[in-house]
Amino acid sequence: MQINTLEYKKIDEIMYEYEHSSGLKAYVVPKKGYSKQYAAFATHYGSINNAFVSPGDSEITEVPDGIAHFLEHKLFEQEDGSVMDKFSALGSSPNAYTSFSQTVYLFASAGKFHENFKLLLDFVQNPYITSESVEREKGIIGQEIRMYEDDATWRVFFNLLRGLYEKNPVRIDIAGTVESISKIDRENLYKCYNTFYHPSNMVILVTGDVDHKKVFEQVESSIKLIQSKPEINRIFAEEPAKVNMPYTEQSMAVAVPLFQLGFKDSGAKAKGFDSLMREIAVKILLEMIVGRSSKLYNDLYSEGLINSSFDFDFTIEENYAFSMLGGESKDPHQVRDRIVEEIKRLGTNGLNKENYERIKRAINGRFIRYLNSVERISHMFIPVYFRDANLFDYFDVYDKITFEYSKEVFNDHFNPDNIALSVIKPL
Amino acid sequence: MVSASVNEQLSKIAAFNGIEVFWIKSRKFKTNSINIFFCDNLCRENAAKNALVPALLRRGCASHPTFGDIALYLEELYGASFDCGVSKKGEYHIVQFYIDHINDKFAGDNISLFEKCMDLLLEIINEPVAEDGAFKKDYVEQEKENLRRLIESRVNDKAQYAVERCYEVMCGDEPFGVYEYGAAEDISAISPEDLFKHYGYMLESLPMLVFIAGDIEDDKVNSAIKKLSAIERKSIKKLDAAICKKEVESIRNEVEHMSVNQGKLCLGFRTNTDPGDKDYCSLLVYNTILGGGVHSKLFQNIREKESMAYYAYSRLEKFKGLMVVSSGIESSNKDKVIDIVLKQMEDMKAGRISDYEYDSSINTIETGVKSLADSQLSIVDFFLGQTLIKAEDDFESLIQKVKAVTREDIVRAAERIKLDTIYFLTA
Repeated sequence: MQINTLEYKKIDEIMYEYEHSSGLKAYVVPKKGYSKQYAAFATHYGSINNAFVSPGDSEITEVPDGIAHFLEHKLFEQEDGSVMDKFSALGSSPNAYTSFSQTVYLFASAGKFHENFKLLLDFVQNPYITSESVEREKGIIGQEIRMYEDDATWRVFFNLLRGLYEKNPVRIDIAGTVESISKIDRENLYKCYNTFYHPSNMVILVTGDVDHKKVFEQVESSIKLIQSKPEINRIFAEEPAKVNMPYTEQSMAVAVPLFQLGFKDSGAKAKGFDSLMREIAVKILLEMIVGRSSKLYNDLYSEGLINSSFDFDFTIEENYAFSMLGGESKDPHQVRDRIVEEIKRLGTNGLNKENYERIKRAINGRFIRYLNSVERISHMFIPVYFRDANLFDYFDVYDKITFEYSKEVFNDHFNPDNIALSVIKPL
Repeated sequence: MVSASVNEQLSKIAAFNGIEVFWIKSRKFKTNSINIFFCDNLCRENAAKNALVPALLRRGCASHPTFGDIALYLEELYGASFDCGVSKKGEYHIVQFYIDHINDKFAGDNISLFEKCMDLLLEIINEPVAEDGAFKKDYVEQEKENLRRLIESRVNDKAQYAVERCYEVMCGDEPFGVYEYGAAEDISAISPEDLFKHYGYMLESLPMLVFIAGDIEDDKVNSAIKKLSAIERKSIKKLDAAICKKEVESIRNEVEHMSVNQGKLCLGFRTNTDPGDKDYCSLLVYNTILGGGVHSKLFQNIREKESMAYYAYSRLEKFKGLMVVSSGIESSNKDKVIDIVLKQMEDMKAGRISDYEYDSSINTIETGVKSLADSQLSIVDFFLGQTLIKAEDDFESLIQKVKAVTREDIVRAAERIKLDTIYFLTA
């Protein structure tokens, strides 16, 4: 068994890597002295993959919106009942989540790790889906969709995505709609499973105080498919560079308007180390423009235009990237105009290098803090892995990223012509 | 000295002037943290003022006179993180000041981040920006407006709002019924002078609990204690413990209408069990069997069997002897879901608890308690609670007590639980 070691002495972290013959890679990030073990088994498949050509097929398969998330629910059901019950009996908490580009199955345990890990490896590899259980799940997921319909922070986010994107499936709700999930059946679920749940399209990560050799041995003996599989052809419609709708609005039972402002990033290279560079550059720039130490933040706050709910982030995935800034505001349009004004001012006057260096150091420090949490490590690791990079590459990013590079990203990303505003207004 | 776990040692290292200082030594984290809690009794008279004081203190201190200056300094300290605010534990109203920073060895150059962070936190608490014996007028007006909006925005999160409202209806004539941010109508009368006087009251007379956590040299901790002892204190307020036992005369029914798609049902119960009672662990197990995980009776019956909800859980308000059952449902299913909940509770009173339910619950609690040791904030929160109720248990002894709970104990706990209020948020 060949095990690669990635060591980051500067921050006392180490990562072990093992590749199974199927093409599946497994990773262990040991956390000495931790009580909790956290294991994730993830597939590179999420809500955006609603059109594809399966290996061996010649035709494009199109599937109903929300099917990746539906499949996530259904995998927990096994021939002898729900596997959740078995995790529960061990006292561990199983969970799963579906995002745009990944579906992740996981558990947190504090003991009996290998028994829990066996359950995880087994159930994800053994779907048992009956028509009757698919129908029953429609009631549960229907309520999940209804819950999100009432969730203003979720709505303001998806309305923004609809504003930014015209064709890209990232604009579609992850869980689909009550109407779209009515078209889900046993057959299309198995089609998706067989296409996307091959080990070569998946990854395993374990964090906690575990013996990495034992983890890899268990992976080796538990993965059933041992041949690698050809690439899946994922079909995406061509997305225009321009935003779809510069403004969207919805009325809901909220007390204060909520808003999200998005910058559509069409110049991003979404794969590999470059994508991490772009991500950190945009994050530094967001802090420089409207972070808590910036003049703009303090002005907006003092004028009552934003409150402490204001926050921002940058998302970069295989075929889309955007930054978003938002929170509660009595006047979202003015916040947008002021941010645009500040970007234009910085474009003219230039960015301050001292601010850049200080904020870079702060973001680097925050990244180190995130390594306290086994959950956080897992949440950060998986999307980065599917972008063909490694979580610990971020340390190289902080060493290599330059002010000059960040200035280029500033000019490219913060384009006032590429913004969309989404607002939720009180009724 | 009690042991938090193999690695985390909690010790009380000093007590003076109504200030108790605790040290949680641990080496596994990347960060050190300092928490300072001022503890008050929850009451309407003080609630909004207690919420406003930290909101004003964060606006600036002697060496960093604006919010932006503090933020900038935190960035210089490698992204140290500072926050403050209020929360409630039962009928204790807690004003919290928090800072954490990465360990010096990851910071790269010779810098004592702990000392700098301790100094900053104390300066924020001790040396606010004030003029003529009052907080700055415009800051006070801004923070009053922010607080008013924060209180109004409670409705944005429907699930949480429903739980809070259920408890407020239930405890309308008890201190627990006071919202931790106070009442919107109390805010306008608060003047900059009143607030500054109230700040003096907080600083001089509220019991203070200080938790220092991480890998810090003894002499630095000792010097921190010295700095704390310089705070001018007067006679210290004696706090009252919440009354956790109350007869229910008649069941209250409260329906609130709002424009929502999904109804939120909350059932509020009196457990008649003090957090310090030896029977508290029986209640803990009871709650976990009823609605604390996927193995629980509520999850299995409302979600898995009837497909009526995506979520259904029960949760204890440990410090007030309350329990709430919460679920998001179609409004037309309200009576059916109430029947299911009450049926499960009748079953438990009759001792109908399967081995699977019992074992899963004990194991789930064990995992949950052990997991607390992996987060500095969770460790601090646990011991803050223990200190407030003068309980001696640490993680290990709590787990032992939970394991000793028998079915008879659970039935006894069940017999004390009485339905008090049915709250329903619906269209």
